[in-house]
Amino acid sequence: MAVKFFGQFLVENRIVSREALLRAIKLQDEKNLKLGEMAISLGFVTRSDIERAHGAQMTKDMKLGDLLVEMGFLTLTQLDEVIVRQKSTHLYIGEALVLVGALSNGQLQRHLDEFKQDQAQYVSERIELPDGVANARIWEMTADLTYKMITRVLGLQFRPGKCQTVATVGTNFMMAAMDMTGDAEARYIISVSEGLQKEIAKAVLHEMNVDAEPGEVLEDTVMEFVNVVCGNVAAKASQMGKIIDIHPPVTIHPPVDGLPVPDGQTALCFPIHVGEGDRMELILLITN
Amino acid sequence: MKKVLIVDDSLSVARQLEKIIADSGDFCCVGHAKNGAEAIRMNHTENPDLICMDMNMPGMDGLTALRSLVVLDKEVKVVMITSLGGIGDKFTEAIKLGARSVISKPFTTDDVLRVLRNL
Repeated sequence: MAVKFFGQFLVENRIVSREALLRAIKLQDEKNLKLGEMAISLGFVTRSDIERAHGAQMTKDMKLGDLLVEMGFLTLTQLDEVIVRQKSTHLYIGEALVLVGALSNGQLQRHLDEFKQDQAQYVSERIELPDGVANARIWEMTADLTYKMITRVLGLQFRPGKCQTVATVGTNFMMAAMDMTGDAEARYIISVSEGLQKEIAKAVLHEMNVDAEPGEVLEDTVMEFVNVVCGNVAAKASQMGKIIDIHPPVTIHPPVDGLPVPDGQTALCFPIHVGEGDRMELILLITN
Repeated sequence: MKKVLIVDDSLSVARQLEKIIADSGDFCCVGHAKNGAEAIRMNHTENPDLICMDMNMPGMDGLTALRSLVVLDKEVKVVMITSLGGIGDKFTEAIKLGARSVISKPFTTDDVLRVLRNL
């Protein structure tokens, strides 16, 4: 039901054992050289250069490759060559499972096709964002995955509205938010009316009636929905080559006149039309 | 009947798992820890057969707790439950540290019981 890693799909479906997967991962660790090791193997840098760059990373928030270039150990052309070589020699988990004897080539192809079919439900559809938004592909995928999870996890019928840039985030009964940092940074917010908070709680708790539930539990269900979406966004982003970390979810009770958008951020609002009297929005406060 | 300890800071996830476990007929829930430190303490006091543990928790997180649990109790069977299971590196790290399986969120009752029954 979630965005998955191929190895996980194979173990969950008992196609390979956990022990076989561990052997394949060990083989990947041996064969897939990290950036520094690959640069050494190509003769571009020495081990001592890598150690100095690792030392510099303690005080500089930069990727190793960029730091090696900044420190003059690698040229940009050499860095590109290292990355290309890493990609062209990468041993994928399926190939590693064949090499350790857990799968035949024929079985690998068949299970890859099954995996693609299982994950096809999470292939992004085109969503239009306003011009000039940084990391637009990531945020289009985020909105698309949110819509898919509203259908699959919450079981709600809805119609997505047009995405707009807003100067103030409109008020609502409650909001649940999660910060995403890394290669693309934003605060992900789901804003819901009181009735929709209960619909989310019913779906998450698998209960027909949640009227007797404490407010703390009702709010927790919205935070859990946000956690599920953002975790799957991070997983999908990693498949797109972007690293995103997620942080613990929080609740927000916005003032009546809404939340002003902080300087240096762009707020994208995606209205989600659910039904008469209920209001739901996805808001992305994107760091410029 | 196998005893299961749930470790998750989210009240709603704990409620979902408790319901799945209680309705299964094969398992019973012996407690709910809200972070990794509580999990280590309750593993000692409740002696569960299986632990279902979230990866991201405030205080001691799931992977840190997993590292300690497998050292302190060689018999412990831990299943990680996370929305980050689809990230290859996270999944691999959990399995390398000794997790028996990883369940990705959102999960269904069948997803959970299939994994627990296979252990």
